[in-house]
Amino acid sequence: MFKSLIDDNEKRSQLSIMAQYLNTCFMISTIENEYLVNIEKGVVKNVEEGPFVMPSYVFKLTAPKNEWIKFLQNTPQPGSHDIIAMLRRKVLKFEGDLHPLMSHLLYFKLLLASLRPVENKIEN
Amino acid sequence: MKIEKEPISGQYGKFKIDGIDYRIYWEEAGQGIPLVCLHTAGSDGRQYRALLNDKKILERFRVIVFDMPWHGKSSPPENAQIQNYKLSTDFYISQIMSFIDGLELIKPVVMGCSIGGRIILHLAINFPEKFRALIGLQSAGHLDPYYDISWLHRQDVHGGEVCGGIAYGLMAPTSPESHKFETMWHYMQSGPGIFKGDLFFYKFDGNIGNEIKKIDNSKCPIYLLTGEYDYSATPEETKSLADTIGIEMIKMKNVGHFPMSENPKEFLKYLHPVLNKIN
Repeated sequence: MFKSLIDDNEKRSQLSIMAQYLNTCFMISTIENEYLVNIEKGVVKNVEEGPFVMPSYVFKLTAPKNEWIKFLQNTPQPGSHDIIAMLRRKVLKFEGDLHPLMSHLLYFKLLLASLRPVENKIEN
Repeated sequence: MKIEKEPISGQYGKFKIDGIDYRIYWEEAGQGIPLVCLHTAGSDGRQYRALLNDKKILERFRVIVFDMPWHGKSSPPENAQIQNYKLSTDFYISQIMSFIDGLELIKPVVMGCSIGGRIILHLAINFPEKFRALIGLQSAGHLDPYYDISWLHRQDVHGGEVCGGIAYGLMAPTSPESHKFETMWHYMQSGPGIFKGDLFFYKFDGNIGNEIKKIDNSKCPIYLLTGEYDYSATPEETKSLADTIGIEMIKMKNVGHFPMSENPKEFLKYLHPVLNKIN
């Protein structure tokens, strides 16, 4: 589900600039599966799919698979369109040292949203 | 080069609020019924740029938007220090009333969004006779904290970046990216701790419980409009508020927490019929 985060680094070059000093490793959990994402200088360097025996990471985002599916829709429904919206509905949990996440909040939001099939860009 | 000039004029003035002088900036356009607009927490009056340019509204309304003290181009009070800024209900009411008195506005309409959508409820409870109508955007009677707001003001996190990141998510995925970016940019320019300090009002001091029942819509008409993508003040919370007051709420499709700024075209479709009811 999140394996493809490794695929689109070129398309995300502008996004990587927003996090050019960020080096971290975080876990995304769908309850039934886990993905360990390694970031160097704002670029996704590696994504490993679980199961893991002794995974080491800085912070973890956990939501049921069906909630991640809703988040990853082209045009997500209200309440599923943002990770803080999911936090508000108590379907997503943030755990661990949240400093890398909160100091690069927009970067992580856009990184995850980059997996949506088509970007929502409407210009008036 | 020919430039496209907007009909907006900006001014500064000194206002006494709770006995202290504040240098306040405001913008206005149009003529007729005064319509005072209140921006959201941690932002400024630029959020109402579309209203200030809307010919249809400007024919009947004098749209006036001020930056709250410590926000936008309004200054902190003289001799201010970087401090633990916290917006209280009383101070928020005082600045609105001082502004209205200072400009000698008679029975204005006041429209506020988010914290502004909350304070109009306090105005409805305390001074209904002073207003022609009150319009709440993204209004809810109370809000329990759902994330740790200490992240909004700490020296090891860039305040502009985190506040912008929070604001971005409150907007609808269907809103135009250019307007979303501008709305986020205002948050990125806010002073350290100001967004967090405003949220003290929004999540603690300004919460209203049973006092909502004191609102009498016959003394001053109230209109409530909420964007469907707002997860801070949700349409369900506005509906509950509207039910208590005994009025209908308007749920706006395809917009989130900042309707007038993130998607003005969509928002104005909902606002025009409301303003048409106000004479």
